[in-house]
Amino acid sequence: MAVDRRSFLKFGAATVGVSLLGFNETNAEANDEFADNYAMLNDSTLCIGCRGCQSACKEAHELPHTGHDKRYEMPTDLNAQNLTLIQLQRKSEDEYTFIRRSCLHCNVPSCVSVCPVAAFTKRADGVVAYDKDKCIGCRYCQVACPFDAPTFEYNSATPVVVKCDFCKDLRLKNNETPVCASICPRKAIKFGTRKELLREAHKRIKDNPGRYNTHVYGETEIGGTSVMFLAPAGFTFEELGYRKWGETPPGQMQEEIQHGIFKYWIPPVALYGALGLAAYTLGKKNSNKSDDSGEVKNES
Amino acid sequence: MKVNAAPMNQNLWTKGFTTGVTIIALGILVVIYRFIFGLGAVTNLSDGVPWGLWIAFDVVTGIALAAGGFTTAALVYVFNKGEYSPLVRPALLTALLGYGIAGFSIILDVGRWWQIYNPIWSWQGSSPLFEVSICVMSYLTVLFLEFVPIMAEKFDQNPDSLLAKIIVKIAPVVNRFLIALIILGIVISTLHQSSLGSVMMIAVARIHPLWHSAWMPLLFLISAIAIGFPVLVIESYYSAKAFGRKFEQGILSQLLKLTPWILGLYVVVRFADIIVTGELNLLVADIWGIVFVVEMCLIAIIPTVLLLNKKYRESDSGILTISWMMILGLVMNRFNTYLITYQPRPGWDYFPSLGEIIVSAMLVSLLFVGYKLLANYFPVLSKE
Repeated sequence: MAVDRRSFLKFGAATVGVSLLGFNETNAEANDEFADNYAMLNDSTLCIGCRGCQSACKEAHELPHTGHDKRYEMPTDLNAQNLTLIQLQRKSEDEYTFIRRSCLHCNVPSCVSVCPVAAFTKRADGVVAYDKDKCIGCRYCQVACPFDAPTFEYNSATPVVVKCDFCKDLRLKNNETPVCASICPRKAIKFGTRKELLREAHKRIKDNPGRYNTHVYGETEIGGTSVMFLAPAGFTFEELGYRKWGETPPGQMQEEIQHGIFKYWIPPVALYGALGLAAYTLGKKNSNKSDDSGEVKNES
Repeated sequence: MKVNAAPMNQNLWTKGFTTGVTIIALGILVVIYRFIFGLGAVTNLSDGVPWGLWIAFDVVTGIALAAGGFTTAALVYVFNKGEYSPLVRPALLTALLGYGIAGFSIILDVGRWWQIYNPIWSWQGSSPLFEVSICVMSYLTVLFLEFVPIMAEKFDQNPDSLLAKIIVKIAPVVNRFLIALIILGIVISTLHQSSLGSVMMIAVARIHPLWHSAWMPLLFLISAIAIGFPVLVIESYYSAKAFGRKFEQGILSQLLKLTPWILGLYVVVRFADIIVTGELNLLVADIWGIVFVVEMCLIAIIPTVLLLNKKYRESDSGILTISWMMILGLVMNRFNTYLITYQPRPGWDYFPSLGEIIVSAMLVSLLFVGYKLLANYFPVLSKE
């Protein structure tokens, strides 16, 4: 790899690189409100499982090393001390690959949809951000997340929800590449805009016949994600631990019902009116019959 | 609609009451431990299974079982069935305690409980849980206000404390708007009972398809309405026992005449749902098909058949058995939806810890102890 690594640290350089390849913006891209969002492309065929991203992320976010004598030991799942994780997925003795786990920063995030206090927000740059000052710690985000991303500090008296923050304050703020992408020695994690990386993903599939599973995970799943994946041919994404999802965000039906119930407050107000009317007419009918009923009073 | 109620004024410290207080004391220790060391210290909750016994039982099942408050109020005040008015106050007390306890268990379960009031100012309208939290807060207020006239009757004679003076002062205002308040309570109840069904809709990949459905809001609402009267039966029976009174089976049997209609609707909607979505074959696919059928038999099918028979509907043991059966079915339904068929993250598992069980037992004890305490002090139960 003769490419100067430092130049890749710069988001700007990556943009120039892609535009030099001479792609034209398609109509679909022009209409895509998420096209210019920050994004990451994970290529499992490049990843060698060194877990440099994992350690760098831990260090950057100042998360404690857990294990005997503070040695770093491998976690088996994402947790409040590990915002990203490389997992080995083995099919047989010779067939294995590595896959990264973290928050995928969905285009239409379920956590944003379900959080009762709007502690999650989808920022204009694509980052799904969390605000602990709003969070009540109900963990509905953990139940709702299609990719099992949010974790929670179960062993703290003042817990917070923990997930990948896209290095928004550590790196993005200064126009720098998130640590995981910048540290990866194999460039298996590529940082860019969603538009560029989708082009890049499809170009890799086209230029290397037989090397890749031809699907880009995250392109369409639940309306698209900012963190996307390429898998080796011979592996389905389900075998790598990523569920099969349609294009519709799983929260859509629920949201439609919620918004339907409260459409201009008509249903609750109508129900109130109907019950009031029933109480009035039925009460009147009865009080005509006898005198001691119909009067609503708590007399003893 | 004259209410002829009186405080019981009996000796509290029976064997049952003492047991209840002991369990509560034990539970308080666990609660203190939880607040000092975090949820993980007393519960088996994890990133793999974030909601456990406390949500499934204390909150979701508890709120469904407390639905008797609004169904009885609707029957008496909206549909003007004055003959059931002796049941209004006991049902109101059960609802008040039930919702109070559910609210308390939410505080125990959420990690950042000191910010529990955040839904008031930080809105997320698309979240069913936002609706549930706003509704539980406002319904608790409504229930308390509905209880004000009852407290005022007691304090009227001798308003010695500041609280008593305030209660006596606001009681006439509350009485004036009582019916408006009661209808507000009914509307809020229909909203959040159904929203508790919406909560799990997004977890489409986690819950067994026989329980996951687009009609969950409707199904949760119907089952909550249906369970209201059976809970009243159980409450009447045990309060009669506790205070050494006669069990008023006649009025309850009359009330239970309505239940088969609601249950029939429930069965139709639930089966229509699995037929429409093509899930009928799942009934014979594996163990979950059997669980589904058992649940449906307990919550609706057997009770409907038995209630249509006068012999069972008009006997003490008959209505008691039917009521317990329906409650068991409802508990199964809420547990299956929120906990048992819930697919943990890969590699995780859950079974409630001793601490979680003790706290749940504490909350049940709190209901019984609180009921006895309040019915003993305030005019809730009708004079015999």
